[in-house]
Amino acid sequence: MAVDKELLEILVCPKCKGTIRLTKKKDGLACEKCRLVYPIKDDIPVMLIDEAIKMPSDKENTV
Amino acid sequence: MELESIKKIYAAYSNVYDALFKRFFYPRIKRAISDMDIKPGERVLDVGVGTGLSLSVFPKHCKVVGIDLSTEMLGKAKKKITAQKLDNIKVVSMDAMQVGFEDNSFDKVFLSHVVSVVPDPYRVMAEVRRVCRKGGQVVIVNHFKSGNKVIETVEKVINPVCERLGWRSDLCFNEFISNSGLMLNKKFMLNKLDFWHIVFATNQK
Repeated sequence: MAVDKELLEILVCPKCKGTIRLTKKKDGLACEKCRLVYPIKDDIPVMLIDEAIKMPSDKENTV
Repeated sequence: MELESIKKIYAAYSNVYDALFKRFFYPRIKRAISDMDIKPGERVLDVGVGTGLSLSVFPKHCKVVGIDLSTEMLGKAKKKITAQKLDNIKVVSMDAMQVGFEDNSFDKVFLSHVVSVVPDPYRVMAEVRRVCRKGGQVVIVNHFKSGNKVIETVEKVINPVCERLGWRSDLCFNEFISNSGLMLNKKFMLNKLDFWHIVFATNQK
């Protein structure tokens, strides 16, 4: 089960308040500006900055 | 208290939370949400939703998003959502001091027993005001320092115990409301000796 579409529309990055997008594997929410991926665990988005995963800096849009 | 300590406390609480607190917290939660007069289609944010004690009280005609720092607590809330088929309710793990929602996303915000357990209540309230629309309703269930001398004595005695449990019992109501930038509509308790206040306010922007 994916993250609710309407919920996705109001979710932003908790750090910069900028736009986030669903990762290609649909297992996280990525903020390009902060280079962070917020994981989705058991269908619950974990929008905690200290639990976000750093994106590899040399690869654009690979997650 | 630091966020990591809070996370640990609530991860430990998550298994016994309902059994321990349903009796104490639920009557106030039920009364507060019933008084919110939530209209069809309104979007409500429940800050510190925990194991989801409040979820069955929200009318099915609104859209609720519950947030909590503790993923363990949210796991329990999610089970309630599935078991009770509460399709209008979603949960997200979030720090109430660093909220990940667009400005003005919600018509109403409900905070039950949250303000006293966060490291900085005013950072929480600044985020609440940001994500709640102008003129939206903010409802707070919380303990505030009493003006009653008998209760004040009890507070002084239990404050160190409360702090160990992750609660602060020395928050002054007038100071809290004026620093939060909210317009107070009403404030009441379930009964005169209740330890918790139910506060209704309007979000001014």
